[in-house]
Amino acid sequence: MADKIAVAVDDLTVAYNYKPVLWDIDLSIPEGVLMAIVGPNGAGKSTLIKSILGIIDPIAGSVQIYDKPYHKQRHLVAYVPQKGSVDWDFPTTALDVVMMGTYGALGWIKRPGNKQKKQSLEALEKVGMLPFKNRQINQLSGGQQQRVFLARALVQNASIYFMDEPFQGVDATTEIAIINILKELRKAGKTVIVVHHDLQTVPEYFDWVTFLNVKHIATGPVKDIFNDDNLTKTYGINYKVAVQQ
Amino acid sequence: MNPEIAILLISCLTAVACAIPGVFLVLRKMALISDAISHSILPGIVVGFFITHDLASPWLILLAAISGIVTVWLVEAIQKTGLVKEDTAIGLVFPALFSIGVLLIAIYANDVHLDTDAVLVGKLEYAPFDNWIINSSSSQEGITNPEDFINMGPKSLWTTGSVLLVTLVLLGLFYKELKLSTFDIGLTSALGFSPVILHYGLMSVASVTTVVSFDAVGAILVVALIIAPAATAYLLTNDLKKMLLLSVVFGILAAFGGYYLSMWLDASISGSITTVLGLIFLLVYLFAPSRGLLAVLFRQRRQRTEVSLLTFLLHLNNHDSIEERSVTHLQEHINWGKVRAKKVLKLALENNMISKNGDVVTLSNKGKEFTEKALDYIITNKDEKIEDMKDDFFLFRG
Repeated sequence: MADKIAVAVDDLTVAYNYKPVLWDIDLSIPEGVLMAIVGPNGAGKSTLIKSILGIIDPIAGSVQIYDKPYHKQRHLVAYVPQKGSVDWDFPTTALDVVMMGTYGALGWIKRPGNKQKKQSLEALEKVGMLPFKNRQINQLSGGQQQRVFLARALVQNASIYFMDEPFQGVDATTEIAIINILKELRKAGKTVIVVHHDLQTVPEYFDWVTFLNVKHIATGPVKDIFNDDNLTKTYGINYKVAVQQ
Repeated sequence: MNPEIAILLISCLTAVACAIPGVFLVLRKMALISDAISHSILPGIVVGFFITHDLASPWLILLAAISGIVTVWLVEAIQKTGLVKEDTAIGLVFPALFSIGVLLIAIYANDVHLDTDAVLVGKLEYAPFDNWIINSSSSQEGITNPEDFINMGPKSLWTTGSVLLVTLVLLGLFYKELKLSTFDIGLTSALGFSPVILHYGLMSVASVTTVVSFDAVGAILVVALIIAPAATAYLLTNDLKKMLLLSVVFGILAAFGGYYLSMWLDASISGSITTVLGLIFLLVYLFAPSRGLLAVLFRQRRQRTEVSLLTFLLHLNNHDSIEERSVTHLQEHINWGKVRAKKVLKLALENNMISKNGDVVTLSNKGKEFTEKALDYIITNKDEKIEDMKDDFFLFRG
């Protein structure tokens, strides 16, 4: 582990209406880590992911996925947006949403067929949502919706997974189910990067962590850098959490 | 061509051509942009008319469509400044462009048949008489022989028909991309499908459709043709393909219904079509099986009764003594009116959740199980366990 760099961010600056949201970020994420991105509200956590994925254009800097620009490496990357970023009243079913994960490999115009359907059903099974495959997405609970989103990322069969707050508004069972799947992904050699809010669970869930607050503060193994010093630097107040090692 | 058939055909084609982009506009919460487009294409139409002197010319359609796209772009540009919200931006842009069109007509086109009346409600009634004539005698100039002219039928039929054809082809090709970008714009761009291209593609189709429909139904009524079928279909289905299909069906129904209504009332055809669209929406809004007003009221009533039932069962579960379980005591204690208490008692008996011995009720095993399950659900909110209960009780449906 830690020999290959999966994601390299170089001098990345992003601004909304000339107000910098991310300032000169340098960040290398080694292959095969399960990493949390933590920081206060407005720290630019989601923006960092979105600019790595080319959803937001940075005003400066570059991003490399396995030494190449993102647009050449799309097939290696899967993305789970924040649950609240889509309209769950959209007329579609759980299975259909998962199928959307296959669109990237299909490219323009080509329609998904039986192969894509089979892959999607397998992904639904993995997240325990197979019984709900034909359910209208607004008839699902928050946790179930998040699982559908996870299944959509799994079906992309990527090397790197980006997830924007996958634990927000989900029940405890779903949280455990999701983290188990993420740990499995890491075991299979995938890189998983998660925007995370709950500092208490960082040592238990993740092996790497990035501290972010507009500027990059620290990145490294949880056991080395998840300490009061970095938390204080990130959150600005004298932070004390009980970190069990 | 028989004028009646021509008008029916034109209105059907127009309705279908409007309904398809309408579905995506409604789902993208951009229904109002169609209102903006339909007004601001006017300067394009006027300038196009000066150049071509033909309301059905492809150049005029192109120019008008461009002013539609400019509208969308202007609205976004104003919105991006962060000074005003989208609805305000729309309200600023389209009256400005529309008024330029009105001024151009007043100054330069007072004597031609491009009047504000036609602009507002269209002129479907005259469409069958504005025919596309092809001159087949290409060689001899100056000699006019009536047999050399071929009447190709109403121009509107050709323009609307070709726009509908293009719309259908584009929908067939890019259905997947349109669905994805309407549902999840972040994933769309992460997967490499440009949301900007899709957005402006959809807006172009909406603009061109509006321009050709404008001729038939005018600037205001075209908005109804775009929004109403989609809004009606949205109440009836959870499937995008069915929503598209239903919108088309409603569009055609309204075209036929509106035509005959207008004959009966001796009134404007386009006005009648949109009236019928409004009536269809009203009916569906009232009677749609799951989202309709009556269904919602019915469901709320049942939910209330079920909550009462659960409260009743919980009370029985918590109190064992005979006096706590006598019917009269229950009426006083839970503080319900006689009617409601009777209803709940009946419901509990019907479902074998209690047994009644004289005046004393006892929780049955089934009732006990149900109460415990329900309590467990309310406390832990573990969805999976109550899947089977969901089918019997509205109470547990989100």
